[in-house]
Amino acid sequence: MNHLSSYCHISTKEIVTDKGALLFDNTEGLEVNDFLKTVYKKLAIDYPKFYKMDSLSKAAFLGVELLKKENAALAEYADDEIALLFANSNASEDTDKKFVNSYAEEHAPSPSLFVYTLPSILMGELAIRNKWYGESLFVILQKFDAAFFADYCNMILLRNAKACICGWIEITEGKTEAFIFLAEKNGNENNTPLTKQTIEKIYKTIMKQSRPSKV
Amino acid sequence: MNIYIGAENIISPLGSTAEENFGALSKNSSGIKKTEAAGFDKKSIFFSRFAENTNDFSFDALLKNCLKNVRSKISPDIFSSEKTLLILSTTKGDIKSENVNPIGKSVSELQNSFELKHAPIVVSNACASGVIAINTAANFIRAGVYETIIVAGCDVISDFVTYGFECLFAISDKPCAPFDKNRTGITLGEGCAAVVLSSHKTIFNVEPMRFIEGTSGNDANHISGPSRTGEGLYRTVKKTLELAGITEKDIDFISAHGTATVFNDDMESVAFDRLNMQHIPLNSLKGYYGHTLGAAGIIETAICLQSMRNNTLIKSMGFEEEGTVKKINIISENKKLSLETVLKTSSGFGGVNASLLLKKS
Amino acid sequence: MENLKEELKKQIIEQLNLEDITPADIKNDAPLFGDGLGLDSIDALELIVLLEKFHGVKITNPEDGRKIFSSIDSMAEYITKAKA
Repeated sequence: MNHLSSYCHISTKEIVTDKGALLFDNTEGLEVNDFLKTVYKKLAIDYPKFYKMDSLSKAAFLGVELLKKENAALAEYADDEIALLFANSNASEDTDKKFVNSYAEEHAPSPSLFVYTLPSILMGELAIRNKWYGESLFVILQKFDAAFFADYCNMILLRNAKACICGWIEITEGKTEAFIFLAEKNGNENNTPLTKQTIEKIYKTIMKQSRPSKV
Repeated sequence: MNIYIGAENIISPLGSTAEENFGALSKNSSGIKKTEAAGFDKKSIFFSRFAENTNDFSFDALLKNCLKNVRSKISPDIFSSEKTLLILSTTKGDIKSENVNPIGKSVSELQNSFELKHAPIVVSNACASGVIAINTAANFIRAGVYETIIVAGCDVISDFVTYGFECLFAISDKPCAPFDKNRTGITLGEGCAAVVLSSHKTIFNVEPMRFIEGTSGNDANHISGPSRTGEGLYRTVKKTLELAGITEKDIDFISAHGTATVFNDDMESVAFDRLNMQHIPLNSLKGYYGHTLGAAGIIETAICLQSMRNNTLIKSMGFEEEGTVKKINIISENKKLSLETVLKTSSGFGGVNASLLLKKS
Repeated sequence: MENLKEELKKQIIEQLNLEDITPADIKNDAPLFGDGLGLDSIDALELIVLLEKFHGVKITNPEDGRKIFSSIDSMAEYITKAKA
């Protein structure tokens, strides 16, 4: 039986993990990019490339760093045993708009923005950071779909990977939502089984827990 | 479980059926032409693009017409079956400067007009989207989640994408020349293609081929630059062969990615050399279609199926003189050869690489 | 020339998102690429945009960038010559 071992939730207001801990509280009401940068500094990670990433990649990066902190076993997998599955409904809309602005308004198309106009780049960033060479898939769905995550994960854990890091990650104007979780083939008995129902339940719980914005 | 693949169709500047497209390739016709004032600074650019000023070749129309053709090639009740899914492969959908998120609307329209039971899934894995979409379809069928999956790929030429590749200095000032010594970059193209994967052989009107295995692998090196060692491509091909239980000796032909940038083609030559595949006949179809991004993997897989049906290797258009880091066996003229097992590969931004194996059934 | 160099440092930090670096950290004659600031091939292309956007100097062949962007000194020299 495959398991859902751990998760974290990033919004413009806060970052929480499954251990129930409120890790970061955006009491100052920072704009998403600034909030993510503050969190990066608090985590004391030395990876200057972080600053060059778009917000989608920054959120995915931090989510995975937090999962790594709480799941030391992640370091035990071989470099191609961890698959990546990310999804959202808006692809790279936020960066797409910035790139359009660079050529339509500033008359200088920006190469560093253009490369982030593919949402799958965030998985490239995770692969580079962690030296992961395994499977990766990015899909655009109309809305969060627990069945899709469960079906794909259970399928990729059959033969192609021993763990799968999944993420539903949306960053659009005024909205930031990243639900990132770790699915493993060899979780222990106390872990949550990896099914449509359990993923759905966790997703609903964290959405409910999200406190109203103080901004 | 056997997984079958067939009912392929392609709409491109070279034709509006798979057969027309293969006919054009057999005559070594290319869709690439110069378009005046298309660049950011109004300079002329080479593209493989449809005639302008007609709605027949819009993103939505291409997908609709392509899928209509595919529907006529399989049993009539399959599209609306509970056990059928549509997967769409695209990088930028119908992107326009004034509307950057146009995929959702196209997807809903397709679901309605083809009476699909499930909302289509859009695979967006940069230029490896097509191959990864097909692999994902096969995995779903193998796991018993669906019985039949239609995989369609489409991307159209836009200012957004043109200006993007221009500012990366990635666009060639002549028609692209994959694997050639004097290659200088990509030529953008547009088009749409679809294939059907199914656990049921009987749904196909014409004998399908078999999908054997497919995997993906990352370079873990750079978000836009290909790995100098071809690591991700090497790994995905190796894994695909291992899962299939075959070796490089069994492969008759490689349909490579071959974008015609200096670094990409060098990377592929290094990977195929590491895989002991330097002697296997190989081509890139970018010299005919340009780089159709999210459609490329599907167009090229559809042409693989046509090549297998016709036992014909197609010349790698644009290649004249060897000039990759490692020597590989690039097809320099069309020829007849019995094709039993074919390898298709793709690579893209984000360091992503993917491969799949096809076999005659 | 010194003003131009200081201006360039600020623009590079801003445009390339070098958050942890201040203008004082960038020596005029130190290499910009390689270990120095950890810049890569996309940064090199972004520097081409920077030169055109802020200094009106156009580079048409990215290969030329290698020499021009080797240090702050070489960038300032190139801009001054191009505008002379």
